[in-house]
Amino acid sequence: MNAVDVRNLSKVFNQGRPNAVAALIDIDLSIEPGEFVSLIGPSGCGKSTQLRLIANLLEPTTGEVLVNGKPAGQARLDQDYGMAFQQAALFEWRSVAKNIELPLELKGWDKAERRKRALEMLDLVKLPEFGDALPWQLSGGMQQRVAIARALAAHPPLLLMDEPFGALDEMTREHMQDELLRICRETSTTVVFVTHSIPEAVYLSTRVVVMSPRPGRITSVIDVDLPPERDVRTREADAFFRGVTEVREALRGIGPAGSGGAP
Amino acid sequence: MRSPRALVRVVLPPVAFGVAFLALWEAAVKVFDLKPYFLPPPSAIWEQFRGNVGLVWDAASVSGTNALVGLIVGTVVGVALSFALARFRLLNDLVTPLAIALNAVPIFVLVAVFNNMFSITSEVPRRLMVTLVVQFIVLVNVARGLRQVEATQLELMRSYAAGQLAILRKVRVPNAVPYLFTALRIAAPASVITAFVSEYFGGSQNGLGSRIVGNIAISANAAAWAYVLGACLLGLAFFVAAVSLERVATPGGVSSRGRDGA
Amino acid sequence: MFGLALLLVAVSWELYKWLGPQDGGTVFGWSVLPRANDRAMPHVWEMLARYAEPERRDTGGPIVLVVAAGAWFSLRLALAGFVMGTLVGLALAVLMARFRVVERGLLPWLVLSQTVPLIALAPLVVSWGGRLHLGAFEWPRWLSAAVLGAFLAFFPVAVGTLRGLTSAPAASLELMDSYAASWRQTLFKLRFPAAVPYLVPALRLAATASVVGVVVAEISTGLAGGVGRLIIEYAREATADPAKVYTAVFGAAALGLLMAGFVALADFAMMRNRPREAIE
Repeated sequence: MNAVDVRNLSKVFNQGRPNAVAALIDIDLSIEPGEFVSLIGPSGCGKSTQLRLIANLLEPTTGEVLVNGKPAGQARLDQDYGMAFQQAALFEWRSVAKNIELPLELKGWDKAERRKRALEMLDLVKLPEFGDALPWQLSGGMQQRVAIARALAAHPPLLLMDEPFGALDEMTREHMQDELLRICRETSTTVVFVTHSIPEAVYLSTRVVVMSPRPGRITSVIDVDLPPERDVRTREADAFFRGVTEVREALRGIGPAGSGGAP
Repeated sequence: MRSPRALVRVVLPPVAFGVAFLALWEAAVKVFDLKPYFLPPPSAIWEQFRGNVGLVWDAASVSGTNALVGLIVGTVVGVALSFALARFRLLNDLVTPLAIALNAVPIFVLVAVFNNMFSITSEVPRRLMVTLVVQFIVLVNVARGLRQVEATQLELMRSYAAGQLAILRKVRVPNAVPYLFTALRIAAPASVITAFVSEYFGGSQNGLGSRIVGNIAISANAAAWAYVLGACLLGLAFFVAAVSLERVATPGGVSSRGRDGA
Repeated sequence: MFGLALLLVAVSWELYKWLGPQDGGTVFGWSVLPRANDRAMPHVWEMLARYAEPERRDTGGPIVLVVAAGAWFSLRLALAGFVMGTLVGLALAVLMARFRVVERGLLPWLVLSQTVPLIALAPLVVSWGGRLHLGAFEWPRWLSAAVLGAFLAFFPVAVGTLRGLTSAPAASLELMDSYAASWRQTLFKLRFPAAVPYLVPALRLAATASVVGVVVAEISTGLAGGVGRLIIEYAREATADPAKVYTAVFGAAALGLLMAGFVALADFAMMRNRPREAIE
C-alpha cells in the first residue's frame, strides 16, 4: 500500500466563472512509505495546491487522492498525517508543550497521556527543557522544531510540509534540514515537502518532483542518487552537485519557449 | 468605485435586516398588544415625527448648535494644546495620565457644577462641557500623531540639520493629520451625546433631551420616540459631516491611523 | 505625576477664583466667563472639607458616607450592566462570526450605532420601571439603569470581539482544518484566545459605557439611591451649600475609576501570557 496515491488529479479554481484558473492538471504521483519526496517549481506551479489536496484542505476538480490507501477525506478524519507550514503557526497563548498537545486534545486523549507524548516529542526535536516556555521566547528555528513536534505528536505515518524553513536564515536552515532527516529516520515517517530551494530539495529527498506553471503539472521526477545517511560531507559530494544540476536543468527546461532561461 | 454587484452585496443585507427588524417590531406590537408606554409601533413614531417635524427641528437646532460650538472650540483648543504637549515633555507627562483617567470618568456630571457658574438661561454650561469632552479626545489623538513619528524620518531630518520648527512643520504635522480626523470621527458623535446628556441637569429646556423627558412625563411616548429619532439623525449627520470632511481634506485615501472607537 | 496634575488643576482653579470676574464676565460680548465668587466656585479646600460634614445640617454622619453609599449603589448597577452587556456582545460576535449573513446584515448597524446618541433612549427605558409587568415579574426601576448600561456596553464588545474572532491567522485556521476540528473546537481553541487582545480595549470602552449609561439613567429620571441622583439634589442646593455638589461629583469620578480599575485587573489576568501590547 502506498503512502500517497494521486491519480488523474486536476484542480480548477473558480470553475465556470470568467476568472477561472487551472492550478493543476493531470497529476499522477505515487509515494511509497518511508520516501522523502520534494515538490519544487516556480511560483504558480501548484505545488502548495497539490499539498493541500493531499491534506484534503481542498477538493479536487477531477481525479482522486488516496492517503494510506484511504480517500484523503477519511485520512484527514483519521489524522493520518501531520502538517507544517512556513509560519510555525504556534498558538502564542499556549506554552510549547500545550502547543504540541493540541492535536491530541482534539482527538480526546486524556491529560496524562498527552503530557507524556508531548515530552517525548520535545526530546525527539531536542528541546527537552522548553516545555513551559512561550513561543515568543523561542527563536525561529526552535519554533519550527516545535511545529514539527506538533505535526508528529499523534505519530502519523505521513508528514506534509509547506516550505517550513523558508523564513529561516541559511545556517539555521541547514541545521534544521539535518534535524528533520534524523527525526524522520527515527520515526520512519514518509514526507512530502514543498520548497523553493534546489539544494534543499536534493539534500533532503529520495525523489524530487519538478513542476511547471500555467497550468501546473509535473514535468519530471528525478531520483536522487545519494545514500540515505546524509551529513555535511554529502553537501560537498559530487553526487550532490550532480543532483542539483539535474534539478536545475529540469527547472530551466520549462522557461518560455526559446528563452532557455530560468522563470 | 466598486462594481454595482459588489455594492448591492454590501448594502442589501443591512437594509434587509433593517426592514425585517421594523416589520417584526410593528407586528410584535400588534400581536402582543404591547402598551404604548413600553414600545410604540414604528408607524406611530413615524407619524409623530412627521407631525412634529418643525418642533423636532427646533429642538435639534438647539442641541445641535451646542454640540457644534463645543466641537469647533474643543477641536481648536485641543489642537493648540497638543502642540504644547509635543513640545514640552513635562507637560506631556503631566497631562497624559490625567487624560487617561478622565477617559474612564463620567465627566459630563460637571455640568451640574457649570450650571452654577453661569446664568440660569445660558447655554454656555453645555457648550463648555462639549468643549471639554471634545478637547480631550482631540488632544490625546493629535498629540500622539505629533509624537509618534517614524524614527527613520527623524533621523533623516537630523541629517539635514533641520531645526525643531522645521521638523514640526514638515514631518510631525503631516503625520498628525490622519490622527486629527480619527479624533473628529469620534468627537463628532461624542459632541452630540454630551450636548444631549447635559440637558438632563436642568437649565434651559429647549433641547432634544429635555423634550424627550418632557414627553415621557406626559405619557406621550410615541412623541418621545420621535425626538429620539431626531437625536439619532442629528448624531448621524455630525458623523457623516466628519467623515466627509476627512474625505475632502485627504484625497488619495491617506490611511487613517490612531485609536479607533476610543 | 498624576497627583501633580491634579494639583495643577486645583491651582488653576484657585488662580481663576483669585483673578476672575466675581460675577461672570464677557469675552467679545459673549458671557463665557464663569462667576468666580465663593458661591459659584467654592475653594478647593472647602470642597475637601465638606466631606467631613454631615449631609444635612442636623442629621448625623459625615457626607462622605452618603456619597460612598450612592457610589456603591451605582457601581453595582454599572457592574451588572457591564456583565450583561459583555455576555450579549460576546454571543452576538460569535453569531456574526459563524454566519456571514448575520455579520453582513448586522455589523453596519452596530458600527452606525456607535455614532448615534443611544442614551437618548435612557428616559424611555427608565420609564418602564414600576409599569412594566412580564408575567409575574415587575420591572424594578433600577433594572432600567443596569439595562441601559448593558445596552451601551454591548456595542463595543460585539464589534471588538468580532474583529478578534476573525483575526486568527490563516495558517492556524488551516491547521485546525487539517485536524478535522469542528467549528466549536476551532472557536474555543483558536478564535477566542486570538480575540483576547481585541477584547481588552473593547472591555475598557464597555466599562466606561456602562458607567455612563447608569449615571445618565439616574440623572434623567432621578433614580433614587445612586450617585447621579445625589448630584442633581445637591446641585439644587448649590446656592445655600456650594461645596456640597462637588462631593457627589468626585463620587461619580471615583465610580468611573473603580470600574476602570476592575477592567484593568481583568485585562491583566487575560493578557498574562502575551508578549505583545494590546491592539489599540
